[in-house]
Amino acid sequence: MSPVDRRLLIHMNWFLLGLAGVLFFVGVMNLYSASGFRMEDGMSVNSFYQKQLIWGLMGFGGMITFMLFDYRHLKTIAWPLFFVTVLLLIAVPFAGKTIYGARRWLDLGFFNFQPSELAKITILIIGARILSKDSDPLGFTKLAYVVGVGLVPAVMVILQPDLGSGLNILLILGGMILYRGLTSKVFKTMAVAIPCIIPLGWLFMHDYQKRRVVSFMDPASDPLGAGYHIIQSEIAIGSGRLWGKGFLGGTQSQLRFLPEKHTDFAIAVFGEEWGFVGAMSLLSLFCVFLYQMVVTARDAKDLFGSYLAAGVFFYFFWQILINMGMVLGLMPVVGIPLPFISYGGSATVVNFCLVGLVLNVSMRRYVFKQG
Amino acid sequence: MSSLHDSKSQQPPKTGLLLLQGLILLLFFIFALRFWFLQIHKGIYFEEQAKNNQLRQDRLYAPRGLIRDREGKLLALNEPAYALGLVREDCKDLDATMLTVSKWTGVDLAKLKDVFKKSRKRVKPFEPLILIPNLTFKQVAIIEANALHWPGLEVVVRSRRKYLQGPLLSHVLGYVAESTEAELEADEGLAVGDFTGKQGLEFMLEKRFRGVKGRRQVEVDATGRRLKERILNPPVAGEDIDLSIDIELQTLGGKLLEGKAGAVVVMNPDNGQILAFVSAPSYDNNLFTTGFSRKDWAELQNNPMHPLQNRVIQSVYPPGSVFKLAVAAAGLHYNVINLKETVHCPGFVKLGKYVFRCWKKYGHGDVNMEQALVQSCDVYFYKLGMKLGVDRISEFAFKAGFGKKTGISLPHEKPGLIPTRAWKRRRFGEIWHPGENLNFAIGQGYTLTSPLQVARFISSVVNGGRLLRPQLLAGEPAEEQGRLPLSDVQLQLIRKAMIETVDGAHGTARRLRMKGIVVGGKTGTAQVVKLTDELKKMKDKDIPYKYRDHAWMASFAERGAERYVIVCMVEHGLHGASGAGPIVKALYDQLYAKKPEGEAVRD
Repeated sequence: MSPVDRRLLIHMNWFLLGLAGVLFFVGVMNLYSASGFRMEDGMSVNSFYQKQLIWGLMGFGGMITFMLFDYRHLKTIAWPLFFVTVLLLIAVPFAGKTIYGARRWLDLGFFNFQPSELAKITILIIGARILSKDSDPLGFTKLAYVVGVGLVPAVMVILQPDLGSGLNILLILGGMILYRGLTSKVFKTMAVAIPCIIPLGWLFMHDYQKRRVVSFMDPASDPLGAGYHIIQSEIAIGSGRLWGKGFLGGTQSQLRFLPEKHTDFAIAVFGEEWGFVGAMSLLSLFCVFLYQMVVTARDAKDLFGSYLAAGVFFYFFWQILINMGMVLGLMPVVGIPLPFISYGGSATVVNFCLVGLVLNVSMRRYVFKQG
Repeated sequence: MSSLHDSKSQQPPKTGLLLLQGLILLLFFIFALRFWFLQIHKGIYFEEQAKNNQLRQDRLYAPRGLIRDREGKLLALNEPAYALGLVREDCKDLDATMLTVSKWTGVDLAKLKDVFKKSRKRVKPFEPLILIPNLTFKQVAIIEANALHWPGLEVVVRSRRKYLQGPLLSHVLGYVAESTEAELEADEGLAVGDFTGKQGLEFMLEKRFRGVKGRRQVEVDATGRRLKERILNPPVAGEDIDLSIDIELQTLGGKLLEGKAGAVVVMNPDNGQILAFVSAPSYDNNLFTTGFSRKDWAELQNNPMHPLQNRVIQSVYPPGSVFKLAVAAAGLHYNVINLKETVHCPGFVKLGKYVFRCWKKYGHGDVNMEQALVQSCDVYFYKLGMKLGVDRISEFAFKAGFGKKTGISLPHEKPGLIPTRAWKRRRFGEIWHPGENLNFAIGQGYTLTSPLQVARFISSVVNGGRLLRPQLLAGEPAEEQGRLPLSDVQLQLIRKAMIETVDGAHGTARRLRMKGIVVGGKTGTAQVVKLTDELKKMKDKDIPYKYRDHAWMASFAERGAERYVIVCMVEHGLHGASGAGPIVKALYDQLYAKKPEGEAVRD
């Protein structure tokens, strides 16, 4: 079997590929606007969107790579991949590079590699492998096993400290578990237990994280700090009204009242410049994009593929939910980017790779026994 | 490949697929609704907000708590200080602005850039970054006149600590200086450019002095000019603190030690309150807030008299004969002294091939314990030291508060040193020699004490054996840390010997006598080096300064219920009686002249 069968190309979900491309294009354009014309700390901000384009190219390469092999091979390497990921996460506290006060990066010479990003991919693969073994709803024992496997990398990432990525890992796995379904007994127990456990999390949070939660409840409590972001982003988005202020026309973002507008708060720039109409279009794009994962999960040739697609669904779903929720003032501020729209190298590459993985599952949906 | 292949019977979970679709719908509707709410429903409101915008928030600096003495006299206050702030969001051309600032103020451009680089991360958006912490009036005038042309620059008014007494209280109050990187990291309430306590009470009571910053809402136009202001939270001033220090007494103490290196502590033996705390020489703590010139700092660092050293708690000295009080007390406690029994002092004692000399060349003749203390006879204590042995002397010394910190609320206190067998083995790898008991018993050898420890010990002799924590704040309750293991009768014996040292015909502290007041004392002359025969032959004034003995005077005085303990130690002051005695006497004179008899001290 040649790497790319002609039939595979025909069956490929070109629509999904196009959606990813459009989202990325919107992101770069938005970044161009967000970069404005000012100088930020001596670095020409124009370089942000230029860099993002380069990341996009690398991501495209990653996407092709993730399409080429038969995704079912991932099942064989799931466990080895899991252990390698854990080993890398163990290495981080010892050999890691500290950037912005957190030790999350391994210096690979040519670039800084963030094992927590790899952990997100790994959790999706190992989760798909474990969960697709049979198809009954999960009982307590199996659930404990799956969650236990997920907790290993998640806790290590949280300790880095990177609460956002750690919770992300758990949320991806949690979504996949829900996808498979729980026995009604488990479901009822969790419905009672989880609200009780959440306050415990408060005890383990860093002070700055607690402040964010408090400032979310009451943005006025710290308007110069965490609350500042929320207030300013609401003003920016709200003032866009129906049609927006036009490309490059945002006063809030252009006048730099809006912080971190190129990363986590990118959607605020978009909302200001394109208004309600633009926001609805982008939101719809994301929904159709997510729906393509559902279609892939439904039509996948095997359960493993179906769970992979569901995992990728949750990978994007949570990021969109949390990022938009935060920028729109519905959630505490946590540093999670909006897929394809926010600036960020490793995130962009991983996003494209995962789209590649879904395309991989999708285009092999009619492939029966070939081996 | 077939091994990878799953059976076709396994269908993707139906409810799972429904769940995913439901989640997409949920996502869409939550956010669509929210966008509608923000952009359509409240769109006009936010548009208005965006136009006027530009509401910013400012901090309002809280004044630091004031410091007063026990009578309510102001010792430290705050005065306005002007700093140059830069709001970088308003700044059009950062490099040109900095260059201009450098021209106006004469501050090196590289230094400004360095300050900017260091503080940038810590300053929130639209908050002035403090470029220059202290502006002169001339600089303020230039900046105010030209700031309009340089958006982003503003004069920030903050308050600055001012110590009215300068050097006199530096060792008690310490000083404040700009917060370091580490402090900013550790403390949420701090902002770049804030002053924090670095030494003394300013350091120990930082949290109480500081207060809480307030917030002010400021409306600005696009160029950053202020249009309207509204106070959201008024700042909360820091706590005012009254010291137990009597500033007049402190002033006198400072004068008496002028030109000398040494320490004076005046303590109320009944509650541990410190009325005077003098360490000489001192430094001007105001210099730390206004900024040092390189020359001033070098001078302070290289001064051979070490003015930064707090001699009351950080300098430890051999206590000399003052320690005999503790050894005599140990003799009573371990019951090795018969009070009536006399020891013959011929001027020396022989131990093996070594000869230990008394300070009085031809001896004191026959002396009992009281006379041995009164005349400070070394031979008596050599013999007592041999009887007691190192273990019992050190055990008692620890109980008397030597060899450990007093716990006064000042940083960097030194514990001093009381040698033990175990210590000597650890320190030198040697056993304790019997001859060392002799030196130990007269306060020479390894023993090191701080003046404050001696004051606390004397206080405990006077107050019935209670070892009290020395307190610097007025109104703090007495805190007992331990007790001397002596009966009242035994304490009275020590006290009586101290009184006799002042009153008796042979007493070494006769110059402390005061009419109508009971005074007790003990002199000490602590050898700095073992004097060579050549030095011994010299007259006092010919001995080089650094070889001269340290002078100690430990004392108490009482008139009715009004009691004080004063300990004075003068480095290289030669003899306790002549070097430290007059200083102590002058302080008592002022203490008792101030209030007519019968009036108790306010506590």
